[in-house]
Amino acid sequence: MKVLLIGEGAREHVLAESLGNSSESYRVYALSSYINPGIMEVVRKTGGEYLRGNVSSQEDVREAIRTVGPDFGVVGPEDPLFHGVADEFRKEGLPVIGPSKTCSQIEKSKVWMRELMWKYQIDGRLRFRAFTSLEEASKFIMEYGGSVAVKPSEQVGGKGVKVVADLQAYLSKEKRSALSRSVDEIGSLVKSEVKIIIEEKVDGPEYTLHVLTDGYSYLPLPLAQDYKHAYQDGIGPETGGMGSISGPGNLLPFITREEYEKTFEIVKRTAESISKETGDTYRGFISGQMMLTELWGPTVIEFYSRMGDPETSAIIPRISSDFGRILQLAAEGRLAKAMLEVVPEPAVVWAVAPLGYPLRRDLASGKEFQLDLERMREKGCKVYFGSIAYEGGKLISKGSRALELVSIGDFEESSRRLESCVKLINSNTELIYRTDIGRGIWEQQDKAEIVRYSYLNRVKRGTLGVSKDWSPNGGLW
Amino acid sequence: MAGIVGILAFDQVWNVSKFLYYSLVGLQHRGYATSGVALLDGKIREKINDVPPEDLEVDIGGWAGLGYAGTRRGYPVVTDDAALVIDGVIKVDLNEFSKRLVTDPESAILSAKGAFSLIALTRDGNLIAYRDETGLRPLALGGFGFDMGIIASEPVAMWVIGGEFRREVKPGEMILMSRLNVSTKQLREPRKAYCSIEYVYQARIDSYVNESEVYQVRVRIGELLAEERPLEADVVIGVPDTALPFALGYSRRLNIPLELGFTRTGSPIRTMLASDDFLKIVGVQLKLNPVRGAVHSKRVVLIDDSMVTGTTLKNTIASLRRLGAKEVHVLIGSPKLVSPCPYGVEVPEEKELIAANLREEEIAKVLGADSIHWLSLEGLRRALTSSSLCMGCMTRSYPKVIQ
Repeated sequence: MKVLLIGEGAREHVLAESLGNSSESYRVYALSSYINPGIMEVVRKTGGEYLRGNVSSQEDVREAIRTVGPDFGVVGPEDPLFHGVADEFRKEGLPVIGPSKTCSQIEKSKVWMRELMWKYQIDGRLRFRAFTSLEEASKFIMEYGGSVAVKPSEQVGGKGVKVVADLQAYLSKEKRSALSRSVDEIGSLVKSEVKIIIEEKVDGPEYTLHVLTDGYSYLPLPLAQDYKHAYQDGIGPETGGMGSISGPGNLLPFITREEYEKTFEIVKRTAESISKETGDTYRGFISGQMMLTELWGPTVIEFYSRMGDPETSAIIPRISSDFGRILQLAAEGRLAKAMLEVVPEPAVVWAVAPLGYPLRRDLASGKEFQLDLERMREKGCKVYFGSIAYEGGKLISKGSRALELVSIGDFEESSRRLESCVKLINSNTELIYRTDIGRGIWEQQDKAEIVRYSYLNRVKRGTLGVSKDWSPNGGLW
Repeated sequence: MAGIVGILAFDQVWNVSKFLYYSLVGLQHRGYATSGVALLDGKIREKINDVPPEDLEVDIGGWAGLGYAGTRRGYPVVTDDAALVIDGVIKVDLNEFSKRLVTDPESAILSAKGAFSLIALTRDGNLIAYRDETGLRPLALGGFGFDMGIIASEPVAMWVIGGEFRREVKPGEMILMSRLNVSTKQLREPRKAYCSIEYVYQARIDSYVNESEVYQVRVRIGELLAEERPLEADVVIGVPDTALPFALGYSRRLNIPLELGFTRTGSPIRTMLASDDFLKIVGVQLKLNPVRGAVHSKRVVLIDDSMVTGTTLKNTIASLRRLGAKEVHVLIGSPKLVSPCPYGVEVPEEKELIAANLREEEIAKVLGADSIHWLSLEGLRRALTSSSLCMGCMTRSYPKVIQ
């Protein structure tokens, strides 16, 4: 059987590996914009073919489908989904993992997502305002003393959230003016009419629940958490994630079984609501990027229409049943037959990037890497290739997170193992990685316990999710 | 004694001067006689004055900066290569040192003798910080959202501006922070000798220093005072702000009611740090007025954090008696201070320390107190979770010799 994988990052390397290792003996074909050495290895091993092209171009994907003639497809990243790449498979009557262009709006448009949550009264929703003019948005920010989060109204590759906590009122003038400037920056990147969305700001530990669906059944994967700050100890600018953890079991040490189930219900209801709203069945991954808050308990920060990266490399290597086959079943609408087994031990992932990521991609591109893969594997680390290409016999960085190292085992043990593995990477630039991933779990437990007091108290008082802001000029919001 | 802070914004859209200013105000309990900031915006400019941080006019801006609040003039020191702030004692030529620090921070730091925490800001926008292997002076690491990295004497410097405290800098650890990375390196093995004074009165009660919650340590000290010297009394009062948790712990343990014995006039400026004897006397009378309703016709336990010459306490006791206190028993939340501090904590010369010169009964007579008791050294050790302490000013035995 042939499978065509779309994408080129570490997430796709993990997916390729699980397809390559499946007892179904798939031949793995891939379409990438550059040659990912990890995907290349799987393609070669399984007797597939590695195609190069623009993964977000319907035409290139159509062409790839024609060349390969796959039995099913797997679309990894969000951008191809936004461009209707999954639809290309379905047009040919081919089963595929990945929602349609219409359904992937849940990730692409933050306004659409929030409107949907309010319309269908899905728990874990936040108050928001959408702005078409930047002046209005700036005015709103200046007016409301309350805490707000400012986001671009649609996904703009890697452009982060600016968050303002207004507890320290005496500083707010400085914070707000910096914010207003970043509003201009965000606005200039967004093409749609609604430019900016402002949400009430919430606080608490973050986690992700990935759910795989074929439109009939819903299969929740183990929880994961990614680490957003670029540098050691949770300092530095926002990134796509400099590491992640998953487990033990299906949970995380700071999320309860009830919270996990509540989260599953939120994600499931969202997928069902998308289908109802669009008349188009949601099929593929849907991931709740969650925060445990005093307002709701499980609260939606955003949704992904695919798997998260680097969460994928913390989750899939822990799955002991045949995940490649699960993908096929989900694509074919037979997910009810899937058996998911997960090892009890947690996983820790370290992302490794060249100096310059995420603020100076120019510095982080074109750097050479060497690694002793064999010794890293001997030490018990899995290595996934991300933003790094195989070019002329060399490994050349593409400007983002180049590698993801994975260790399965208890958190402390994994940290030590990864520490010894990361030393086996050489580069002609300084490397950025965080050694604190999965360390300091008790601090997160404490943080979770603090918000838990409050949201459970809200449950008792019947005020779950109830909040307001007021300003003298703007009135009640 | 000093509070130091360094802030670096990852995006140059920020002007960090206000953040620096309020951080510094959050550290002024560590020293306020002189204060200053240095800010980098193309070049480093500084603003230094002999005023508390609150009164410092910061009319310069920048995306990275340093702040100092303390007892030594001239900080931040700005050289050709960098700006520096130091808490503690460092034996180097700062011009020479900063030159080396910029080119090779590791060897520069390893060659510097002293007991100190330091933060430097280079002209190209790197923060370099180091806490010496004894950890005598505290240092903490944190950030402000996705926007800034912060290094400061105490986490309160981060909390007051809405930032996040991440962890303490380990003794012997160097931090290099730039817009593109934060890296750390253990330059020397820790030989922990945490300053006892931090726990007893230096750090703010909402702070976390030297692996401990300061508030909890202080309440425990009060409880241990109750074990060591249970008194028959009607009320317990503590001298604000530092001694209040001691009084609370003492009151709880013995079921003697805690009263608010003093109220303040003007802003809370630490009398111990006042340089002038006259100011000290005026200071204590002006700033801390006893509350008659709390002590009238009561047997009073009065708790303070430390005693240097005893002058302030003598005045306080006299005031309490004038207001109708029947008995005044004095408890001190630290062991006797008998020796100066070679590491920059302002403990006066031995000849000025009453506890180094007189016996307890004599001191009680000088103060006009019915009785007096200091927390024992053993009591202090029991109150603190860390066993690696510097108690030099109480024992005359010092953990580190600085040539």
